[in-house]
Amino acid sequence: MKENRKQVWGLIAPTLFLMIFIGVIPVIYVIYLSAFKYNVFAKIPFRYTGFNNFRKLVFDPDFLKSLRLGLTFVALCCGIELPLGLLIANLLTLNFKGKGIFRTIMTLPLAMAPISIGSIWVLITNPDFGPLPFLFRKIGIEYNMGINANQAFFTTVLVDIWHWTPFVVLTFMAGLTSLPNQPYEAALVDGANRWQTFRYVTIPLLKPVILTTLFIRVMDTFRVFDEVWMLTSGGPGTATRYVSIHLVRMVLQSMEYGYSSAMSLFLLYLTIIICFLLLTFISSSQEAT
Amino acid sequence: MSGGKKTWRMFLVYLVCILIAVATLFPIYWMFVISARSRLEVFLGPRLIQTSFYAPNYYRPFVQDVYGRYLVNSLLIASGNTLLVVCLAVLATYAFSRFRVPGSNNLFFWTITNRMAPPAVFIVPFFLMFTRLGLRDSQFGLILLYCIFNLPFAIWLLKGMMDGIPKELDEAALIDGCSLWGLLWHVIIPLAKPGIMVTAILNWIFAWNEYLFAAILTSVRSRTITTGLAEFVTVIGTNWGEMAAVSVVCLIPAIVFIGIAQRHIIAGLTFGAVKD
Amino acid sequence: MKKLGVAILLVGMLVLASSWCFAAVNNPEWWQKAAEPYKGVVIKGISESTPPSKAMVEVAAPEFEKLTGIKVEFEVTSWDEMYNKSIQDLQSGAGIYDFIYVEQDIIYAYLAQKWLTNLNPFIANANITNPDFDVEDFTTFINYFKDAEGNIYAIPFEAFLKAYIYRTDLFNDPEIKAAFKAKYGYDLAVPTTWEQYTDIAKFFTEYGKEKGIELYGHVAQAKTHPCVAYEMCETIWPAWGVYNWGINMENMRASVDKGGTLNSDQAKKAFRWYVDMLQYAPPGVRTYTWDETGAVFGAGKIAQGIIYLENLGWIATDASKSAVVGKIAVALPPTAPGVMDAAKAGKGYIGYYDGGALGIPHSAKNKEAAWLFIQWCMRKEWQGEFAKMATRVVRKSTFEDPLVKDLDAQTGGYFTMLKDQGYLFAGAPALPMHRPLNEVYLKWISKAVAGEISPEDALDNLAKEVDQLMEDLGY
Repeated sequence: MKENRKQVWGLIAPTLFLMIFIGVIPVIYVIYLSAFKYNVFAKIPFRYTGFNNFRKLVFDPDFLKSLRLGLTFVALCCGIELPLGLLIANLLTLNFKGKGIFRTIMTLPLAMAPISIGSIWVLITNPDFGPLPFLFRKIGIEYNMGINANQAFFTTVLVDIWHWTPFVVLTFMAGLTSLPNQPYEAALVDGANRWQTFRYVTIPLLKPVILTTLFIRVMDTFRVFDEVWMLTSGGPGTATRYVSIHLVRMVLQSMEYGYSSAMSLFLLYLTIIICFLLLTFISSSQEAT
Repeated sequence: MSGGKKTWRMFLVYLVCILIAVATLFPIYWMFVISARSRLEVFLGPRLIQTSFYAPNYYRPFVQDVYGRYLVNSLLIASGNTLLVVCLAVLATYAFSRFRVPGSNNLFFWTITNRMAPPAVFIVPFFLMFTRLGLRDSQFGLILLYCIFNLPFAIWLLKGMMDGIPKELDEAALIDGCSLWGLLWHVIIPLAKPGIMVTAILNWIFAWNEYLFAAILTSVRSRTITTGLAEFVTVIGTNWGEMAAVSVVCLIPAIVFIGIAQRHIIAGLTFGAVKD
Repeated sequence: MKKLGVAILLVGMLVLASSWCFAAVNNPEWWQKAAEPYKGVVIKGISESTPPSKAMVEVAAPEFEKLTGIKVEFEVTSWDEMYNKSIQDLQSGAGIYDFIYVEQDIIYAYLAQKWLTNLNPFIANANITNPDFDVEDFTTFINYFKDAEGNIYAIPFEAFLKAYIYRTDLFNDPEIKAAFKAKYGYDLAVPTTWEQYTDIAKFFTEYGKEKGIELYGHVAQAKTHPCVAYEMCETIWPAWGVYNWGINMENMRASVDKGGTLNSDQAKKAFRWYVDMLQYAPPGVRTYTWDETGAVFGAGKIAQGIIYLENLGWIATDASKSAVVGKIAVALPPTAPGVMDAAKAGKGYIGYYDGGALGIPHSAKNKEAAWLFIQWCMRKEWQGEFAKMATRVVRKSTFEDPLVKDLDAQTGGYFTMLKDQGYLFAGAPALPMHRPLNEVYLKWISKAVAGEISPEDALDNLAKEVDQLMEDLGY
């Protein structure tokens, strides 16, 4: 197939060209900015500072706290969404009447703009006139996102789960419906019960799908902004100021372009490393199956 | 399995499904309710049932204001971007999946990393670039820009799909004298169609919902509906009713789009899980 | 589907077009003549989606287009987005916008960067300046948009006070009055001291609880959001005698040992009071921004409070949004001892004079046409109607307009207060770096409001960090 090499490059070329245009040039610019102290509100807006931005980053308590919060948020969201998605996907691949309706319902949250989702949840969780605190009060729990940091944190997690579990369900459902039959027949012959079949047949077969979905969810949860900003704006205090929010505020409110460029690069490479580890894990597990 | 046990299990399945459906639908239901309320009603208290309907919430944005145009812009941009991304991704994935190009694995991984970048800081270079090139406030500019996170996603999704198509098929086709294009057109695309559809749908949803770049890079002519939604957040209060009404209208094209392709989603998203 | 949408849109536009009847124009010929050289030009502008901006977009711009043939592309959008876009445009010099929204507190940043066009040469040019345009007729608010030499850089189009607002029906209820007198030993009236304010807040919140109705004596914008920092800096601290965000304007430092007042005892006392008072506000007060404060007041759940009076228009007049139409009045906010005298002597201020203006970026491509449009929006004969649409006044002559006099009665004397006592209020201090500052203030203030840290410690930390930031920025 060597004579085809030119044609093969021809296939990749448009993608490559576009990605260099919109993917590489801006990154180079951001790398350039990260070496400057750049704030339009400073007396001297643009000043070379070398690696100082990165040095500052490592010792910045606000950044480190938000990073910790961000990672906790990612872990918690993904940790709940994936098992929950697996459960629902299993349920919806069973044979029963009306599952089509339930499948359609499950995709609806995906179709809503994050900013609408944020605003709807603001109204639902408002301590004075929202239905959720109202219901909680009926069972004797005082629910107030403005005071209780834990409640605020879990509300943002809840909203993320509500919004993105459908995505997980979709991918898992697809994975489940396309699993081969033989292993199941073999399990049946061996007399395995439902749980054993699920644990020892379905999970290993589904592993590549699970990891891929996890990969995408980790990337996207790490960048969450609109919903959380509408909902808590990072509060109460700094309880839900995830690193993505911290970064956006540094860029758009404080206008610290240089410092936030350094921060972006740091986060980019952190995500790349996390994802690279996941990817290696995926390919090794794919070879195993 | 006894009949009684089976009925009991079906009951359980329905119960769980209905619970999940209620949890999923409640916020959407609440959005409808809010969209039917005047500003005063929104702040009165948690009444779960709405009996009256406050029509100006729908009337003002779409008749007096230009949200209809925003909607058309959004449709154009999301569909245009989907078309572009799917075409490019099919070609690139075909190459990544079928041919051993030196460095292709690295290239593949690099493409994906583009989705990982935190977007906020990139508005500075993009603003400069797009203004210089005259792409600011044009639908075409956004169609191009959205490739940065949609193209990696599409390639990632499609790669799994194409890897799942048995290689024996294309060998047979090549022996029959099929060209590279012929192979793609007559073998790969028909087999990968469900996957392509899914990619298109998710891609469309991502483009439809994007806010940050649309907010910075458009002004009057090519504003999208999500940036229009942000306009309701004002100093004298968020116009919750109209915002909910526009969100409701926004849902319609998305539901139509998803509804049509529902079957393809299920059949399509396999990520190469099948390896017989 | 799409065709139907287009059809609906067309019908809507026709309806709109037919309703564009001209508001008063004194000398249309002058406008046509002045605009003659710029016919067909498209000018682009951006503003925040406030009611005054909406009025300009929906009424002033189409009329201007029709009369002069200059096309106006005016986008109004959310506060964040407006700033992001205008600052990107200004710093890159791209020249996208011909006129931009200049909020009073951002003007110092824009001036420091030389991002705005000096309007004095335009004002001096009789060809493009309407004879009715008279700088002297503008209220003192225009002084905020001048540089040290007195050159004007932007023309105000909106101006509000953030002041005290209360429910007349409750304050005049004989039963409530008697109960209050019995409890506190003096007559229920508009408070002039913070102690009285606290008593009244306590009284109404308890009264609401006793009667089982949703009524509270206090409201605040205490969400973790830029608004909580603004509330402290603009409203609470000045009325307690801590001015200029607690920053010493001479050396730009905030902590007491460097000459600032941010962690002074008085500032700490005021902040402690602010945090303590939240218990008398509705339980959800820590999720309120400037949005919900106005909304709950309009819903009739609040007896008194200090809110942005941009909201006054709809609270006082629009029965579809407000449950308290005809039941409200405004007054000066309460003050700590000595503050009122200082303000009257011009040595301090008691609250926030808030507003915005239209300026022309240094990089604008159609400066003259933009200047014509700015004057058009601020033309004398339209101001009364403009005030009716958006409860704002920027020209002295507008106070005499019958429409405004009418409104004054409906809003419980707001315009009289603006006219006679507006001088007691002040805009934001000259802090060019106020955006990054706000983020730091937000961090520590919201931490204390959430109870993560005591108000006193929060201010000590805040002062230290403000000093640090100032040094970082080269001030």
